[in-house]
Amino acid sequence: MIKIKYEQLSALIDFLTESYQVYAPVKHGKETAFKKISSASEINKSKYNTSLNPKDIFFPQSEVMFTYTKNGIKSPPEQGKPIAVWGLRTCDTKSIRMLDKVFANAYQMPDKEMYKDPYWIARYKNCLLFSFACNEPPSTCFCNWFNSGPYDSSDSDIFVTDTGDEYLLEGISERGIKFLAGYPETSQADQTDLDKIKVLREKAESYMPPVVELSGLKDKLLKIWDDPVWDELSAKCINCGACAYICPTCHCFDMRDEGNEDKGKRVRLWDCCMYQLFTKEASGHNPRELSTYRVRQRVMHKYNYFVENYQQFLCTGCGRCIKVCPVNMDIRQIIQKILTYKEV
Amino acid sequence: MKELQNKVKQLLNDKEVDLVIGWAKGSLPLVSTPVFITEAEQAEELIFDHTCRNNLATYLTKDRKRLGKKYNKIGIIVKGCDARSIVLYVTENQVKRDKVVIIGVPCQGIFESRKIINCTNGREVLEQKIAGDQVILIGRDFEIKVSREEVLRDCCLSCRYPDAPEYDHFIGEHRGEINVKDEFKIVEDFEKKSAAERWQLITEEYSKCIRCYACRNVCPSCYCNYCFVDNNDPQWIGKTPEVTDNIIFHLIRNLHLAGRCVDCGACVSACPVNLDLRPLNKKVEKEMKERFGYTAGLDINEKPAMASHCENEKQDFIMG
Amino acid sequence: MSNTYIPIPMKLERIINEDPDRTLRTFDLSFVNKQDEEKFSYMPGQFCEFSILGKGESPFGIASSPSEKGLLKFTVSRTGSVTQEIHYLQEGDIVGIRGPLGNWYPDEKLRGKDTVIIGGGFAFTTLRSMIVYMLDHRQEYGKITVIYGARSPEFFIFKDELKEWEARADITLHLTIDKPYPGWDKLIGFVPTVTKEVGLDPSAYVIVCGPPIMIKYTLPVLSEIGFEDSKIFTSLERRMKCGIGKCGRCGIGSKYICIDGPVFSLEELKKIPESF
Repeated sequence: MIKIKYEQLSALIDFLTESYQVYAPVKHGKETAFKKISSASEINKSKYNTSLNPKDIFFPQSEVMFTYTKNGIKSPPEQGKPIAVWGLRTCDTKSIRMLDKVFANAYQMPDKEMYKDPYWIARYKNCLLFSFACNEPPSTCFCNWFNSGPYDSSDSDIFVTDTGDEYLLEGISERGIKFLAGYPETSQADQTDLDKIKVLREKAESYMPPVVELSGLKDKLLKIWDDPVWDELSAKCINCGACAYICPTCHCFDMRDEGNEDKGKRVRLWDCCMYQLFTKEASGHNPRELSTYRVRQRVMHKYNYFVENYQQFLCTGCGRCIKVCPVNMDIRQIIQKILTYKEV
Repeated sequence: MKELQNKVKQLLNDKEVDLVIGWAKGSLPLVSTPVFITEAEQAEELIFDHTCRNNLATYLTKDRKRLGKKYNKIGIIVKGCDARSIVLYVTENQVKRDKVVIIGVPCQGIFESRKIINCTNGREVLEQKIAGDQVILIGRDFEIKVSREEVLRDCCLSCRYPDAPEYDHFIGEHRGEINVKDEFKIVEDFEKKSAAERWQLITEEYSKCIRCYACRNVCPSCYCNYCFVDNNDPQWIGKTPEVTDNIIFHLIRNLHLAGRCVDCGACVSACPVNLDLRPLNKKVEKEMKERFGYTAGLDINEKPAMASHCENEKQDFIMG
Repeated sequence: MSNTYIPIPMKLERIINEDPDRTLRTFDLSFVNKQDEEKFSYMPGQFCEFSILGKGESPFGIASSPSEKGLLKFTVSRTGSVTQEIHYLQEGDIVGIRGPLGNWYPDEKLRGKDTVIIGGGFAFTTLRSMIVYMLDHRQEYGKITVIYGARSPEFFIFKDELKEWEARADITLHLTIDKPYPGWDKLIGFVPTVTKEVGLDPSAYVIVCGPPIMIKYTLPVLSEIGFEDSKIFTSLERRMKCGIGKCGRCGIGSKYICIDGPVFSLEELKKIPESF
């Protein structure tokens, strides 16, 4: 584990930018988001996770799939340097790893070229993820429900602890270890640093809510799939897309053409199962006409369907949806209600 | 609070209503949550305070007016602005007056979470207490006192009609019409800028939009079955969050709300990226007032401005 | 790395109007590039995304049979903006397709067995593919029985081929229309009723494809006759975009129609929430 002082951060970022496109949390209007940076001065240091999600780095809200003219189709330019992300939280890193499972291949399919998503892969390939320990998880965090926690370093390439005046960097993955080995700064963390981490970690963990046991959630959901309780659970939802667009793991998308028959582009953009038009067919038939069905779909996808296909929940407990929901739909309450609900 | 709960209990017990839409304590310290009450004992959950940011009228038209189909008579708890939305619904033939029982509550203004967070320098507030004109914001390692004014929503600061103009029951004291001097100050400030400055402000603000449509979906006045932005055939505007398309979306929404926006602030509170949507809404409101002497949702017998015509109206938009 | 999202160019060779309302048209496409043709290997039941640059994509089952070399056939009903645009196409135009996508009818299981094929309206496309494929490898399969229903005689698609099949001894064809029609001497009645009445042998495999309402009422009839759920197959439709199990649009339960389907057995469907 090496340590760098706050003032040495710019040297680290400069070193990174030599071989990576570096993304980090920056101010974005009144909010914070991950954007490409060229120097450490742009970084927004906050105790909390960013208001916008990090999936945008690898799976932008809208991206050009190809352009076309009368003469044919042209793929977008190559990605260039691999991507490094500074300032992720452990939940953010986990969400990126989850999305990789979706985009790198489809679940039960053999490793077949046709199921690979070239746009994701181009960005994700050789990426270096620095995830930060959360010293002060806000009250909306519930990552500990998902066998994780504010100091969960698994899934990181490099795990970073901010001690208040320096960063302690620990290589976790092979790629992370290799990077740190090649970094010129070699000041090693000592016992005092480890003690500091221990104190910070205990404090951080004390802020987390009591763990809710989720092992029965998947099966319970299937059991109540057709139950009238969904009317109650969905009553206040207004079917906007704030939760899905702010969510680091939601990955439904739309594909649209912009242009005319001679010239234009095909873009893909985030879409959301909360919208009425998401499943509406050209004939007018809509399998999810009612808001109830759409809310159910989102909950089922995260805590049942995805688990069926990928053996993990499509949720990291980052709490972003809880913060932004205009009508205070709180996914923690929904989960708890489902777990304790006696079906009709 | 007790009075409100008792009134709702009585309405449900007397079968005067089948459902009451109100607010309950939310899961976060700064927000309340809409609640749908059909049993008298549930009325204990009801609250009304400075966290009741939602305009509950929106549920009367939401999801293809599903509630109206399910319940014969709906009771709805309203602030002044929310009541104006119901008036608007009645004048626009969306809701029948005799199908709703309007329960007015005395609104002292609603707090804006974003302003509170600014006061604490971004730190999370875990509890807030009201002490006279002061608000005490409490977090893990701080306690800050701020004045109410500082954290009230902009729309509440310039609110002229805190009382419901139309109601069946009113809980508590009426506040009466408030003589706000600078109701349109943000518009005037905006108008004073040069075209280039205005354009820059608009592009900067709306470039942040993530097109989640929370503003549209919480808005009681946005009840079109198919929003122009969702239309595919023809597709009027691009769906990507490009600044030009974002601006078109917001501007068309603004114009479609001409004479229909009650400045309830629901869109501003709902925006996950905290866009300042209000200046343009307010601009349109001002135009409607100056041109047609019309303010939305005040008079249940008045035809909506954009759905009526009189000869002495200004026609300079045609004649130049 | 290859990119599944890039359509391959196809030339529109022939347009056939299938019905008097001109809402159903069949499009025969040929490959512009030889190497695309060589790579394109499919089975009956699979589908493609049909792409019109500037307008978008729409999924259609492949109506041609893999045994018809050099040709892809799609029948398109005009219902939305993309299908309307497809109907505007003219012979000689270049369009794009992505595919083949999805799974296919359980050909391996059907070998040596009797098969009943039940279709309705214009959803007969992939069924045509299957029938032509079976007829082209006739000795590999047992008895083939086809039940096909349409509103009126004009609304059958592939009319010329239906005539040819009727003349053949190695395939039994039951054509039915909803209500009497001048000059119609074949069956009259809805598909579920006809299915009940033609005397099917429940040891056969069944493939059902048609409008949701037809499927809904035919499945119980099949169970009543004694067909096992594991031997009844149908093909589902939903809105689709990516075609490779990512975009989330065609999800039913934990399955994606675009990769787990479109073909499912009734046994599978009964376990999937939202499938009906």
